[in-house]
Amino acid sequence: MSQPTQHPAVNVDELEVVDGRAYENLEGWVPELASEEDLRVALEKAFDYRGDISLTFKNGERVEAYVFNRHTGSGLADSYVQYFASNAPEKRKVSYAEIARIEFTGKDRAAGKHWEAWLQKYAEKKAAGEKNIQLVPEALD
Amino acid sequence: MAVPISQMWTVATYVLKNRLAGKKKYPLVLMLEPLFRCNLACAGCGKVQYPPHILKKQLSPEECFAAVEECGVPMVSLPGGEPLLHPQIVEIVNGLIARKKYIYLCTNALELKRRIHEFTPSKYLTFSVHLDGQREHHDMSVCREGGYDLAIEGIKEAVKRGFRVTPNSTFFDGTDPNMVRAYFDEVMAMGVEGIVLSPGYSYDKAPDQQHFLGRAKSRRLFRAILSNRKKSWKFNMSPLFLEFLMGKTDRNYECTPWGSPAYNIFGWQKPCYLLQDGYADSFKELMETTNWEGYGTASGNPQCANCMVSCGYEPTAVNHGFGSLSGFFAMAKAALFSSYKDKGALDLLNNHSTFAAQHSHFVKIESIAPAASLEETRA
Repeated sequence: MSQPTQHPAVNVDELEVVDGRAYENLEGWVPELASEEDLRVALEKAFDYRGDISLTFKNGERVEAYVFNRHTGSGLADSYVQYFASNAPEKRKVSYAEIARIEFTGKDRAAGKHWEAWLQKYAEKKAAGEKNIQLVPEALD
Repeated sequence: MAVPISQMWTVATYVLKNRLAGKKKYPLVLMLEPLFRCNLACAGCGKVQYPPHILKKQLSPEECFAAVEECGVPMVSLPGGEPLLHPQIVEIVNGLIARKKYIYLCTNALELKRRIHEFTPSKYLTFSVHLDGQREHHDMSVCREGGYDLAIEGIKEAVKRGFRVTPNSTFFDGTDPNMVRAYFDEVMAMGVEGIVLSPGYSYDKAPDQQHFLGRAKSRRLFRAILSNRKKSWKFNMSPLFLEFLMGKTDRNYECTPWGSPAYNIFGWQKPCYLLQDGYADSFKELMETTNWEGYGTASGNPQCANCMVSCGYEPTAVNHGFGSLSGFFAMAKAALFSSYKDKGALDLLNNHSTFAAQHSHFVKIESIAPAASLEETRA
């Protein structure tokens, strides 16, 4: 498991506001996996990504999946990711050593869903005279 | 304090039993997320941003009961997603009541009035209704006009039918404490048992990352809100946790991340309800393999820098209150002398512009300009 970065110099009790983490646009990204470190970094990003990714294994199998967990062992063989394939009900696990290619193919479900986007949409609809203005959850089918 | 004596007794004996058994780490509330699907699309929420095949998944009642049995908590919070969208939520709730667990079913209440007849009032069941303030602010917060009215209808119907109801509010940067106090008057007049509140937290997975209170501003805000209390206000929270939010010097608590473990379709979430740093397959694995020292403000972990959220800090307050004589007396004192007279807090209320957002969050609905002039509005 990755270890948190330490910043003991900051007195958190004096903070007025806290800016969150910078958004990283990964949709469509196909990382080059030239080294073990490249693979680890890409899988860490896959773990954070709010969409499906496509994993191609060294045996040629390809799955579209949501990666929800990763475990970092001492080497690639004992490191693994856990995922839900988009077409299967059960959790699955695959070793880092079996992964040949990673593609961020699925839609990033967090993209554009920030406060300013809502305010802008609200203002546009209000100006157009709409009533019962709302953001609607995305359709599941 | 609004928490019933039977619930306090259950929690107190649970804490004492664990202490006497020499346990250093034990959970108090299971955050049981039966699904991530929701009927709202709040901009600030990081709980529902998943692909459709994940949003369609849900825990079965048997999985819920197994998780509760596994960790042994006396209280279960059912957040989500929207739990009332789970087709077996009534079976889950009834099963937990049969196990004598105190349940907080966290709902946006859009469906509450329509579904309420399926539930039976019980001292074990509380509807914890998401309500972020008065109508205008709540509707903007949940990105839905009319959301407040539906929630209020649900609250009133639930109160009328004899259910325990606690409005549950999260406050972000830019909150006007006067508005919050007026909101307290409104909801208490509806007959709710007590109010639950928390500062917002900038967790990684939230798509909106600009509107979170730092700890200094949080303390000032909650000092303004919670000092000079009206007798009519009741809070369904540990009074020591509220003192922590107000910045009382002897309530400088550290986080208890294992106090409110979270379980969902992915497993046991590391390390807490809000941070997602991985999952364990069992509660035992969660407790034994999580690097607990790496979390909380004392750790220096920047992800925890602004957190004062109840899921991490209220367990600390509860353990203090029920686990030591000094804590128990402090809790008794807080219950008996709950007005917290404070002239400085009144000054804060009178100068509430000091709480203006660094980034505008709460904007009056009628004053929102069309998109072309949004930048001017923000300035």
